Amino acid sequence: MTMLQHAILVLLLPLASAAVIAFFLRKQGALASWISTATAAAIAAISIILLLHGERFEDSVEWLRFGDFSVSLGIKYDDLAALMLFIVGFVGFLIHVFSLGYMHDDAARARFFGGLSIFMFSMIGIVLADNLFMIFIFWELVGFSSWLLINHYHEKQSAADAAKKAFIVNRVGDFGFLLGIIWCYYGLGSVNLTELEKLTAGGAMPCSGWIPLLLFCGAVGKSAQMPLQVWLPDAMEGPTPVSALIHAATMVAAGIFMLCRINMLMLPEALNVITWIGTATALYAALCAIVQRDIKKVLAYSTLSQLGYMVAAFGLGSTGTYALIDLPVSTVATGVGAAMFHLTTHAFFKALLFLGSGSVIMGCHHEQDIFKMGGLRSRMPVTFFTFTIGVLAIIGLPGLAGFFSKDAILYLAYEKNFAVFAVLAFTAVLTAFYMVRVWKITFLGEARSQAAAHAQESGLSMTLPLVVLAGLSVAGGYSGVFGRLAGSVAHLVPEAEGSAHTTILVVSLAVMTLGAGAALFFYKSAATDTLEERFRFGFSWLTWLKESFDRAYDYYVAKVQQRFAMVLNFLEQIVLAGAIIRGLAGFVNLVGYGARALYTGSLHAYVFWFLLGAALLWAFAAGIL
Amino acid sequence: MIPLLATAPVYGLPSYLFVSALLFAIGFFGVLLRKNTLVIYMCLELMLLASTLALVAFSRFNGTLDGSVFVFFILTIAAAEVAVGLAIIVALFRQRHTVSVEELNQLKH
Repeated sequence: MTMLQHAILVLLLPLASAAVIAFFLRKQGALASWISTATAAAIAAISIILLLHGERFEDSVEWLRFGDFSVSLGIKYDDLAALMLFIVGFVGFLIHVFSLGYMHDDAARARFFGGLSIFMFSMIGIVLADNLFMIFIFWELVGFSSWLLINHYHEKQSAADAAKKAFIVNRVGDFGFLLGIIWCYYGLGSVNLTELEKLTAGGAMPCSGWIPLLLFCGAVGKSAQMPLQVWLPDAMEGPTPVSALIHAATMVAAGIFMLCRINMLMLPEALNVITWIGTATALYAALCAIVQRDIKKVLAYSTLSQLGYMVAAFGLGSTGTYALIDLPVSTVATGVGAAMFHLTTHAFFKALLFLGSGSVIMGCHHEQDIFKMGGLRSRMPVTFFTFTIGVLAIIGLPGLAGFFSKDAILYLAYEKNFAVFAVLAFTAVLTAFYMVRVWKITFLGEARSQAAAHAQESGLSMTLPLVVLAGLSVAGGYSGVFGRLAGSVAHLVPEAEGSAHTTILVVSLAVMTLGAGAALFFYKSAATDTLEERFRFGFSWLTWLKESFDRAYDYYVAKVQQRFAMVLNFLEQIVLAGAIIRGLAGFVNLVGYGARALYTGSLHAYVFWFLLGAALLWAFAAGIL
Repeated sequence: MIPLLATAPVYGLPSYLFVSALLFAIGFFGVLLRKNTLVIYMCLELMLLASTLALVAFSRFNGTLDGSVFVFFILTIAAAEVAVGLAIIVALFRQRHTVSVEELNQLKH
């Protein structure tokens, strides 16, 4: 089998699995879960084969043609796709294994695993797509599978609402994305990624700067950047493995991946906007995370914050591209390198943290409030140990994966834009603060509820993925590992040298110590939030900040959009349906009434009309009329 | 041009047209005023034949066969029409026991 056939197989396997489950195995949860997991294992295996084989290729077939316009389906397997495919395949497989344990007693297990398979299909489609239209198709498919899986507990109103919210908010971003794709096709004449690269080679951009911004809209929706970040925290209503797979490790990272794919279309102005949106999201989400009580919500805001980091890194790094045109290509896309590096390590440690939280939630009988946990260190040792590694990785303890990738981003910011660097460094303090808060309140101290007191360590199918992910969270940052996974992308990662290296190291150690130390000493293992007790004003301000976006959107929907819709409805009822449609019918009716009067049934009357008609005809022929 | 009749006509074209118009008018007023369907029907035939007469006259005085050809068609179709029309009137009479148009006024709004 050629490598291309491997790639096609890896794309179609999960689709086949989803189809088999949807059509035949809806009642057989156990069989469905094993099929889905076996498929995920095969995907992971093939992605590793493809990665190690080293061959990079692309191929496409025409799918639709309307005149000059054609849509093709194709596969572009380069180093970027290889890295992403590995993350999706491998992390996806681990999460499938975890789900075997976590969802074991769920009545709708078949639907859940079918949803996971259709998600894997959609996500791999994005990763392998060779043109923007194909990316868009799979982009919508991941949106659908995300909706399906958030909605897993659909009998719960909040879950149904959250699924709807996620779908609709993504629709807003996707509208911009679609406009961007159409504009790109209209302006540049192609949406094929390789062709776009050739067209824009040399830094010359033949058309508008709105294209990258519109395409970025797609990433804003999918990667939950400001101002469309509101759906991600709500999406935590879904089962925890879904949060780990879709809303932390892979789907939300698809926005970053897509940005890296369209790197060549970027312009300095657009990148500036992207940088600041990413930076603002990173800071905002970190502030929100401090006041959360729900363990999954903290992780969700943390995900938002880290995604903000990646977006900011992308924006920062690529700015130099067009300012320094004569530099060779390898130094160009430092942003791509830094963003993908952090995406990779984040996928490992965030999946680990989410699965860890899933294990905790399972152990505490579906209790998610951290203030009702406590003292889980001794009762759930494996979960505690791996979760600790995850926390240390995300706050950037030297030697762990997060340290390297976060340093790369901080270094990039330090070099390019000091204001961004300051904000990101402050965000790093907050990150350490809220992660240590969660860790301390959840695992240390005394058990504060019946459920926590009787918590038990989860089974092997759940702890094994945790251990593997913990291993990756430690090793993923070293060039020996990441370099092998990412190939040429790894060369793009910026590396600090000399005095800058020292500065970054000192700053990153300082922020970590500051944040972690503050949280460790400040928070008590109590049933109430220490911050709320001591600094009531600050706490309520942060709560207000968290809710402000939702309030603003609620206000907009209820007061602006709904009223506008009512006006439109009125116009529709009165003008369109009333005047035009019913009016036209009424007019025809009236004519009918008049014409009916002529229809008397008397032959002689008809003859008169005939005479009149003949006279008119004669007059017309004679030229009188 | 070969004349259709060896002898020259005794009366000119206007005389024929006058007779034709007269016949047509008689037929028309018959249709307009009479009440018996059978009579109306005969008046219709009269109008048809009035136009036939005019066509024959034109044909004769123009020395072409065009008008005569029309006449043959009209006669043929009139024969067919008479057969159908009379059949309808007979059927109508059997059904309604009258042929007066004043009583045959059911088809109206």
